[in-house]
Amino acid sequence: MKIIKQNILSLLFVFTFLLLPVIKIMAQEDTAAGTPVVKLHYYNNNNSIQYVILESSLKKNKVFTPQKNKSYALFLDQSTPENLIGNILTDNEGKAKVFVPPSLKAAWDAAGTHNFIVKEGEEEIISDYAITKSMLTIDTASEDGVRTITVTAMKWEKNKWIPASDVEMKIGIERQASILSAGTTETYTTDSAGKATVELKRDSLPGDVNGNYTLAARVEDNDLFGNILVEKNVPWGVPTTIDTNFFNIRALWTTRFKTPYWLLFMAYSIVIGIWGTLIYLIVQMVKIAKMGKTP
Amino acid sequence: MGNSAIIPADQITRDLLPQKFGTRGVIWTTILILTCMLGAFAYYRQLRYGLVVTNMRDYVSWGIYISNFVFFVAISLVGSLITAILRLANVHWSTPLTRIAEIIAVSAIVFAALIIIVDMGRPERFLNLALHGRIQSPIMWDVIVISTYFFISLLLLYFPLLPDLKIMIENKEKTSKWLYKLYRFQGSFWKGTKEQFRLSDKAINILCILIIPVAFSIHTVTSWLFATTYRPGWDSTNFGAYFISGAFLVGSGAVVVAMYVFRSAYKLEKYITELHFDRMGKVVVMLSLLYLYFNINEYLIPAFKMKKSEELHLEELFTGEYSKMFWFAIMVGMIIPIFVLIFKAGRKPLPMFIIGSMVVVGAWFKRYLIVTPTLLHPFLPMTNVPESFKHYFPSWEEWAIAAGSMAGVLLVITFFARIYPIIPIQETITEQTEHHENN
Amino acid sequence: MSCNCGENKCSNPDNPEVNGNSRRDFLMTGLTGLAATVALAGCGTGPNPFIPEEKVALTGGKVKLLSVNGEIIEIDKAFLKPVPDMPHLSNAEERHGIAGKKFVMVIDLARCKNLRKCQSACNHMHQVHPGQNWIKVLGMEDADHAAPYWQPTTCMHCDEPPCVKVCPVDATFKRQDGIVLIDSDRCVGCRFCMAACPYSTRVFNWEEPVLTEEVAEQKYSCESSMPQKKGTVGKCDFCPDMTRKGELPHCVSACPNGVFMFGDLNQDTVSNGAETFRFSELIKDKAGYRLMEDLGTKPSVYYLPPVNRNFPYENGLENSKTDDNSYHTK
Ligand code: SF4
Ligand code: SF4
Repeated sequence: MKIIKQNILSLLFVFTFLLLPVIKIMAQEDTAAGTPVVKLHYYNNNNSIQYVILESSLKKNKVFTPQKNKSYALFLDQSTPENLIGNILTDNEGKAKVFVPPSLKAAWDAAGTHNFIVKEGEEEIISDYAITKSMLTIDTASEDGVRTITVTAMKWEKNKWIPASDVEMKIGIERQASILSAGTTETYTTDSAGKATVELKRDSLPGDVNGNYTLAARVEDNDLFGNILVEKNVPWGVPTTIDTNFFNIRALWTTRFKTPYWLLFMAYSIVIGIWGTLIYLIVQMVKIAKMGKTP
Repeated sequence: MGNSAIIPADQITRDLLPQKFGTRGVIWTTILILTCMLGAFAYYRQLRYGLVVTNMRDYVSWGIYISNFVFFVAISLVGSLITAILRLANVHWSTPLTRIAEIIAVSAIVFAALIIIVDMGRPERFLNLALHGRIQSPIMWDVIVISTYFFISLLLLYFPLLPDLKIMIENKEKTSKWLYKLYRFQGSFWKGTKEQFRLSDKAINILCILIIPVAFSIHTVTSWLFATTYRPGWDSTNFGAYFISGAFLVGSGAVVVAMYVFRSAYKLEKYITELHFDRMGKVVVMLSLLYLYFNINEYLIPAFKMKKSEELHLEELFTGEYSKMFWFAIMVGMIIPIFVLIFKAGRKPLPMFIIGSMVVVGAWFKRYLIVTPTLLHPFLPMTNVPESFKHYFPSWEEWAIAAGSMAGVLLVITFFARIYPIIPIQETITEQTEHHENN
Repeated sequence: MSCNCGENKCSNPDNPEVNGNSRRDFLMTGLTGLAATVALAGCGTGPNPFIPEEKVALTGGKVKLLSVNGEIIEIDKAFLKPVPDMPHLSNAEERHGIAGKKFVMVIDLARCKNLRKCQSACNHMHQVHPGQNWIKVLGMEDADHAAPYWQPTTCMHCDEPPCVKVCPVDATFKRQDGIVLIDSDRCVGCRFCMAACPYSTRVFNWEEPVLTEEVAEQKYSCESSMPQKKGTVGKCDFCPDMTRKGELPHCVSACPNGVFMFGDLNQDTVSNGAETFRFSELIKDKAGYRLMEDLGTKPSVYYLPPVNRNFPYENGLENSKTDDNSYHTK
């Protein structure tokens, strides 16, 4: 009993501690109607266009239901009309995606760290979601059969790109809905030079037909930088031709267009044999009938 | 032959022409029609609310509809036994029984097909079987062989009917106007010439040969609907033969019952004689023994090994929840008939009638036991489902539809007997004369 | 290879012409497709840095947006949505599957404590009828003195699927990506597949399914299995609609203990979202196995034995009591 209580307490503690800075839980109405939860996530892929995804849901009895068609306004740094990034409406999943328009170029270029502000009506519900502009680059080397991947994280501070240390990220090979770590641990952290180096431990991993696969480094929900991803194509995989023969197989489980020949043969010979005879008998019947009519 | 007295041809005709329903006939038909209507109403509910009105659920996904289907297919097999096998074996005593057997076959196979449609979740998509049918599926095999069997049985009913149609057309005064029209439509071309008889006899012979493999197929394929799965109790290489032997047995049982009923309802003692009952009794004993043999194969061998997947299933049958029904079906459907019918006294009409009914009832429960308990013993435990999914007992709608379909089979037979002579007139006359000449 | 592709296109509607789709399908293999666009996007000039353009139903309209460096980049309006619209798939394409993929799942029994988050997420996302489940968590005890364990079961997406063998109308079918799906627009409701499946994974819509209005109005798609239809079968579908978007199936992301791992066998990788493993190594290291191997169904779901468990079996007993006990009828 005691242990369980302790567990719950520590869990609660960890929960609040970890999530408070990121998630803004807005207790507007009483809990019977549920607590609205609005979250922001910043994304940048391949050092290109950044965007923010707003996620709005209603928390009730531990269940989150998306809030559809809710409108919010998103601002950059200040909640003044000229700093408006966009008015947004959540979709069926309670999400909305917002880009920074070119009109805010001056404001965007002016600083390294920006604050995203969310207003629901007149009320500021998120005011301290700060993101520092960052960049990831990925370099590869192969020497003496040892392949290494070096990822460099940079941040924009004092008008220049400087190394970002202590950034945790996944470094590996892009796969179906995931990144397979290139080395032996799930994540890597950059050193003071903003670099994380991994030795490729994945021998003979299947690539595409030419043996290519994509390396990726991804920072996930980082307090400073948000979500950033960089990718690079390398010819390190094993060329894999995928069996395209699937629809040529004839088996018992294939479609009716790919029935095994032996089955077709059996079925047709039986059906033709029997129905052939039956048709013959009907002809006989017609003969009998004719006989009766012409005495 | 047993009854040595020669009956004159015109008396045969008089005796065997179809007769109007008496009071008993009217009551009987009314009951059947009412049962059918109840079944139709239950089916209307099923169409409206979905299969949820049945008590089938995810584990027991097939219920008494399928048992009934197997039962009907089984019964219909007798058409081929009595008409074809015995005819080819040059057995003549069975001639008066051929039409009874054949009409049982036709109506049972029609209702087997109907009950399958009733069992479908989307009956309105029935045509998908033609549009998208895949020959790999045993259901397609079943659809093909059942329609073929139906067609052959129909022909086998029709060809021998031609001479009788002529007789009925000749006896115009004895029928109603619209029946006369029907007879003329169906058989006015039959003049009874030698050439016509030759062609017709040839056709019947071909049909008799043809129907045997098709009959074996319908029931073998029906057994494969089960045997092509992995389930305990169904996963058996014995299944085809087991089903066919059971089918011949229940079909013969049904013929015995029908013989008795027609005999007493239409006063046919001169045509369906004690000799027929005696011979049919011997056939039933032989078939019971055969079926018993396959049953022993079917249950003893898995029980000897007691594989884990079979264990629970067999225990439920032998000593568990289904044991009463199981032993009832074995006793009533096989053991008792064997013991009664090996005695000559047991093969008299009334005991034969009782035994025939027992065989049919036992066979119905046997089909129930083949379908349901297996589904209640899946490989993985039954959990994460409502309690009601773990049991099965048919709902009133299912009973009503099952009863309605049985009533339907009987109704078809009843009406057939009202319209056509249930004992072939022409053949009986011919046989009498031949018999006479031979003497 | 390419001539094989050519032969693939049969003149039947169920085998959609491979050539017609080859470009998209090819790009759908993810890696290669992404790489092509990534190479451009990396230097900040790519038309779209997010999802390969070919995967998405483009609108043709363009918008100008700001990059992290303050550059102005033009992209298609389709990307303005949080999840860009996927092109509408024809029934033939849905039956064809995602080219180049072969999906597998690994279920780690050592991590399961019968929380059934997978089940509730699945039921919620697919609007499974109350009382029924596509995923079941079975309390297993193989023999009297054997240790009990919790075993989640999904459809095994067998490579020799007995359910597909017996379907009379091609309503349940196997796709080239290994997924076994149901076309509820074609199913006649004979339930032969339910009898044939040894894993008892199929459920039937005995009555009108309980759907939200929004889903009920959707056009039916075999890939999303929605909206379900009365009188037809349903089962776990490996969420092909999610995998097409490059996301994990709902059960995988819902499990807090990372029991489910999902991936592409051709890429030799499975992931539960938090961790990603090389499939072959995982199976080798933990002695993965499949259920009822002796039946020859060749499942696509592998199990890792319940050794060195994270939770005692008893911890899961509480959750068994929450079974929805009624299949409510009207
Ligand atoms: S698990 Fe069952 S439903 Fe799924 S593919 Fe295998 S046989 Fe079919
Ligand atoms: S129930 Fe539907 S999917 Fe299953 S076998 Fe019948 S038609 Fe095919």
